[in-house]
Amino acid sequence: MTEKNTAESANSEEKQRWHLSRRRFLIGAGLAGGGLALGYLFGVPAARLRIAESTDEGGGGFFSQSNEPLAWFEVKPDSSITLYVPKVEMGQGVHTALKQIAVEELGAPWDTVTVMQGTTSLGPQDSSGTQGSTSVSSSFTPLREAAATLREMLRLEAVVQLKTPSGSLLSQGAGFTTTGGKSITFGEIVSNKVDAWEVPEGPAPLKSVSEYETVGQSITRGDIPGKVTGEAVYGYDVKLPGMKFGAVLRPPTIEGQLKSVDATTAEQMPGVVKVVVADDFAGLVANSRIEAWAALNELQAEWDEGKLWQQEELEELVTAGGPGGVTIQKKGNANRALNGGNVVAAEYRTPLMVQTPLEAQAALADVREDGARIWASTQAQSRVQELVSKATGLDQETIEVVPTLLGGGFGRKLGDVAVEAARLSKGSGVPVHLGWNRPEELRHGFFAPLSHHRLQATLDPNGRIQAIKHELGSGDILFAFFSPLLTAVFGADIGVSRGARIEYDVPDVETVIWRRKLPVKTGSWRGLGFLPNVFAVESFMDELANEADIDPLQFRLMNLPGTERGRKMGMVLEAATNGANWGGSLPDGRAQGLACAHDFGTSVAAVAEVSVDEATGKIRVHHITSAMDCGLVINPDGAKAQMEGNAMWGVSATLTEEVRIENGRVALNNFETYPLLTLKEAPTVEAILVNTGGQEPTGVGEPPIGPVGAAIANAVFSLTGQRLRNMPLSLA
Amino acid sequence: MKLNVNGEEKTVKDNPSMPLLWTLRDELGLTGTKFGCGVGICGACTVHVDGQAVRSCITPLATVEGKEIHTIEGLARIDATGSIALHVVQQAFIDEQVPQCGWCMSGQIMTAAAFLEENPTPNSDEIVEALGQNYCRCGCYTRIFTAVEKAARESAVQQPMESAT
Repeated sequence: MTEKNTAESANSEEKQRWHLSRRRFLIGAGLAGGGLALGYLFGVPAARLRIAESTDEGGGGFFSQSNEPLAWFEVKPDSSITLYVPKVEMGQGVHTALKQIAVEELGAPWDTVTVMQGTTSLGPQDSSGTQGSTSVSSSFTPLREAAATLREMLRLEAVVQLKTPSGSLLSQGAGFTTTGGKSITFGEIVSNKVDAWEVPEGPAPLKSVSEYETVGQSITRGDIPGKVTGEAVYGYDVKLPGMKFGAVLRPPTIEGQLKSVDATTAEQMPGVVKVVVADDFAGLVANSRIEAWAALNELQAEWDEGKLWQQEELEELVTAGGPGGVTIQKKGNANRALNGGNVVAAEYRTPLMVQTPLEAQAALADVREDGARIWASTQAQSRVQELVSKATGLDQETIEVVPTLLGGGFGRKLGDVAVEAARLSKGSGVPVHLGWNRPEELRHGFFAPLSHHRLQATLDPNGRIQAIKHELGSGDILFAFFSPLLTAVFGADIGVSRGARIEYDVPDVETVIWRRKLPVKTGSWRGLGFLPNVFAVESFMDELANEADIDPLQFRLMNLPGTERGRKMGMVLEAATNGANWGGSLPDGRAQGLACAHDFGTSVAAVAEVSVDEATGKIRVHHITSAMDCGLVINPDGAKAQMEGNAMWGVSATLTEEVRIENGRVALNNFETYPLLTLKEAPTVEAILVNTGGQEPTGVGEPPIGPVGAAIANAVFSLTGQRLRNMPLSLA
Repeated sequence: MKLNVNGEEKTVKDNPSMPLLWTLRDELGLTGTKFGCGVGICGACTVHVDGQAVRSCITPLATVEGKEIHTIEGLARIDATGSIALHVVQQAFIDEQVPQCGWCMSGQIMTAAAFLEENPTPNSDEIVEALGQNYCRCGCYTRIFTAVEKAARESAVQQPMESAT
């Protein structure tokens, strides 16, 4: 057991060499022991590829695309098939879902196919990382095509080796039989191959949705058994012989800059191996974590604290308006339409929030003179490779980053801890494991930015929205990671804008974003801007429904457009409200609220059932009914698990989560200052999958979070008549 | 110091104030016990000491010397045929497909196992109370509840059979 979590060599001596065929397939060369490797270049829109290529020179590789294959199969002589994937498993079940897609077209028995986590040296490279609810949707078609092509290549070769007419070949598990009684396995086919493999001219036939046997089944997840026995290995768990433990000095303030460090006392502390100070970085390496953390308190540092920001100043800073707004949606002339008349207006705010995955950031770095190996709990192994290269001066090609299982990601695990571990390893000459502790995780990462929303609209006498304007001020989300060139190309932060557009059918509509530079680090948080925006927009829809004196469900249905998207949103609204018995009787003291939204091709709706404690004013969410149309569902139980998790995230954020800045400091310590939802406050969740005919999968990991906040606020309004416009919601 | 961990005697570095969590993880390599907060709030580090669920991140070694410590790695049993028999709670967590990221799950399972030992026939409120001190950031709460309820039901079925043999 103790050896299980020893980091093993990732067998990176020989990087796979690829021969590019027609139709963007790549056939691997140099596979040890015979066998066949087949990769596929995923379709990348040409414009995005060009952008990525031009920005990569400026060091903006994250979220760009590479020219390496994004999935590859290896067929071994024992007939086993390994599918290497770059996407990391952080509990979303992605490895199981991708295997389902592959097995569907391969036709191989489930147990003969193994999904392997790729590293930056082994398996496909994917500079986009694992983020944005895109792992399955972006992989679906290319993975199917690659699997079907591989199968077709094996079939054609079987025909040759068995010297049999093509029509006489029948599938038989991991191989083929003939009507004449001959048989051959995948392993025999690849072992007996003498000349070079070639990709067939035409596209391999793909199964239709009605023929699917594996896709669409709630197959149990492969990562779960190890997670209930304690055997699963995460970034915090990896170890190497001779490994020491690191700790890094943190600034006292959000703008703090290190001026000087006196290491004299810290160096004398028990267990300390080395104090590493370089430029703006100070940390140390010790024999145990406890010794490292204890010695850190003895590092005498002088800081330039910077401006001592207060919460109110940040809220002022983020307020929408003034010059610099970027219009991201415009139809008709909302300004003119909203000038006079009976304008309904409201403003909403959402706070800084922190991802705080339960496994804090962790990485193990072994930096040598000629290269480095990094094991990291990260969503972005290519970015880690790039950042470690910059921090150590090593060439990127000499650095292998091995992603481990992640104890939660939620947009947070983009690699900073691996860079710190690498600096400590380089400075001390030994492998160093660095794991953040909870106060570091709560104070020193990056946060969902504050946002401010100003909404205005007019209604016609029948309750149809005539004009609407959404003005949004926010700190950076994805722009925090983009190069200046890329931010110029996009104009407005595509993370901030998620859910900001008005999805309803309105003659005059405009959405404007103001980018506000905040003094505190901000970035990705589950769903990026989706929860904040939908909280604002869908709370406002309820205010409009109330103004029009129309039931919130009817109001939405009558204002949705007659487009495909409008139809899908209507379907999920109806599914959620039917499931929740909308308008039916409820226990005394309870009320329902609803909201809907659209994100990453997925339509979502939620109904929240709430009560309020009369003595304390505390809001309790009893039940969430969540409905989602994510197109073709790969694994229904896995999709429902994501819906349940998103419901809990939404409730937790809407009721309690808030990071405040006081005297230039993040006013958090440990979980007592940032309590998360527990089973005691958790609602029950009904997850309803609606497929209105999609033939391909769309995003699942984040969209269901969107409507939860507004559904709760709308329910509170229905119950109490009080409209709460600031998250977290408080009746006090 | 000597510790009794999962039925085996282990010699560990003599450091009475060291939290049990870090000795288990970093010295004995039992990394199934997870670090979450270090202050006893989240429950990710829950282990059994003499059958009681305790938070190992705030449990100094001095207080567990001579006691029986069990971690998640020691929860399953080897059955008569020599194969691994998962604890009824572990099996229920698989059956209900509870874990997402899984980081909190050792703590959830150890908490539930100790709780069901003490209260084999809990009602819903008692399950919520017992598991209500463990964080799950992925939000697997509905399934945690269902799995513990199922484990309680199944151990209630198993126990009369065991006592009969």
